[in-house]
Amino acid sequence: MRARTSSFRAFEAILAKDLRVELRTLQSVPAMVLFAVTTFVLFRYGLDRSALSGSLAAGVLLATVLFAAILAINRLFVAERDEGGFDAIRLAPVDGTALLAAKATALVVYLLVLEAIALPVFAVFFLDSWAGLAPLAGVLALADLGLAATGVLVSAIAANSRARDLLVPLVLLPLLVPVMIAAAGASEPLLAAGGPSYGGIAKWLAILALYDVTFLLVGYAVYDFLLED
Amino acid sequence: MPALPLDEAGKYVAAAYVVFVGLILAYVAIMAAKLERIERELGELASLAEGGGVRASDEVAHPASPDDRSPSAPSEVEPAAAPAPEPAGNVAEGEASGGGVFPDV
Amino acid sequence: MKVPSLRAQAVATVAVLAAGFALVFFYAPLDAEGFIQKIFYLHVPLAICSLAGFVVAGIHAIRHLRSGDAVHDARSYVSIHLSVIFGIAVLVTGSIWARAEWGKWWVWDEPTLVSFLIVFLLYATYYPLRYAIEDRERQARYASVFAITAGAFVPLNFLAVRLAEPLIHPRTFSSAGGLPGSMLLTFLVCLAGMALLWLSLVRFELAAKSASARLSRLRRALEGEAYAPPPAGSRIAPGIPSRTASASWMSDPTTPRI
Repeated sequence: MRARTSSFRAFEAILAKDLRVELRTLQSVPAMVLFAVTTFVLFRYGLDRSALSGSLAAGVLLATVLFAAILAINRLFVAERDEGGFDAIRLAPVDGTALLAAKATALVVYLLVLEAIALPVFAVFFLDSWAGLAPLAGVLALADLGLAATGVLVSAIAANSRARDLLVPLVLLPLLVPVMIAAAGASEPLLAAGGPSYGGIAKWLAILALYDVTFLLVGYAVYDFLLED
Repeated sequence: MPALPLDEAGKYVAAAYVVFVGLILAYVAIMAAKLERIERELGELASLAEGGGVRASDEVAHPASPDDRSPSAPSEVEPAAAPAPEPAGNVAEGEASGGGVFPDV
Repeated sequence: MKVPSLRAQAVATVAVLAAGFALVFFYAPLDAEGFIQKIFYLHVPLAICSLAGFVVAGIHAIRHLRSGDAVHDARSYVSIHLSVIFGIAVLVTGSIWARAEWGKWWVWDEPTLVSFLIVFLLYATYYPLRYAIEDRERQARYASVFAITAGAFVPLNFLAVRLAEPLIHPRTFSSAGGLPGSMLLTFLVCLAGMALLWLSLVRFELAAKSASARLSRLRRALEGEAYAPPPAGSRIAPGIPSRTASASWMSDPTTPRI
């Protein structure tokens, strides 16, 4: 009982620390937002379209969010590695998963903030109607969980290697293909030209949920081995 | 017994099987090269262990003095060949003990 | 369980594969697709063995993490290596089949092929991953974590891709259950042959690595610690302790000596 409480306290402490650091240094989220907005502009010219709907809109939005997430995932464990945070966790009598959970939660928070800004911008740039945005935000939140689950794992592996900036996108992107498939599948009808429709979304949401659960469980199972010296 | 059709379809099927065989042969060739290197090294080490001095090889930096080496070499090899922690639990597939595989040493 | 010698296994592999191919060209009937369908007997068993190999690698990785014994890491590494090579064969034969069947070198609406591509791309990152981590033990541990994560990924990926593609073309994969007897027999023999091939090549490669590692240890012992060259390719090769699964057949006098 006491161990679990202290693990939860550790989780809270690490999460609070990360969020506070991010607020003070602003190293991830502003970069992600800028990257997303610029990428929207690139897509506007790359696709030669000023209005998007349906699968194109879903694709542009999700690809941008995915790549912006990688920016944050790259930096997730840098401080821990440089300042000896891994050692601290190893020595403290808490579950290593406190670190995992805290990092994953921080990443989800960053992604939610990103989407809170990027979604309206996306709508202003490309969409005709804002009707589908609310359920879209829900789909994105579910996708964010999946991004966080695998992102944290890959980030932890890469943090202790050379060429870590290269390794994260390389290993993470194939792992994220099912997230892309399911999130795009769910978003496409929501962004349809004639207004959002909800047919067939359930199976995509189910896949996203399955993905999230699977990789959260995998992370929980293997994380101790990532923390070992 | 169907004759091998030389039409379009036949070429593709043949290509697929050729790719398969080609990959296997490439793999075997690479393995053969590796084994050749192992054999060569084994030969060098065997002659070293038997105190015959070192055959010409780029890698070896220092000349071995045969008389000094030969009495000590076998005893050095023995503990090394049956090395340290052999996990007791690892008896899967009825393995023999790992030490002393090289009979001429 | 007594493991057959590698020589016996290799002979069995050749025999079964040869029998399988003989069945393909002399026994299995042609179906509606025509002669092109013969690729099926090559492509699908390769794919099944490759995927099974990835799963096996994941299992070895789990055993490695639980026991810390480097043997399992070696097995995991070699399993992934061979499954990736089989994967190349799957993609190339699949592409040839697509070209023969539909005129294009790649089709996106064949969900199994596409899923396979994604899985292949993922496992191909195994090598840069290992290469990027210098500490041997950590490298092995992280590689095992990767193998487990990727193993969990494979079924999810197949599910997602399959759901994403409306099935336009009739699939021979999905109709495998409805194969007439003679085709099914041929398919099963080819599958058995490929599985034996995979197993044989795994043992082959494990033995080569084991021998290499032992040689370098021997060299170190003979020439002293001052001279201890790492075996070629050891950067990303798993460390293999003296006692490995191949030890039993290494001392087997019937092992082929080249």
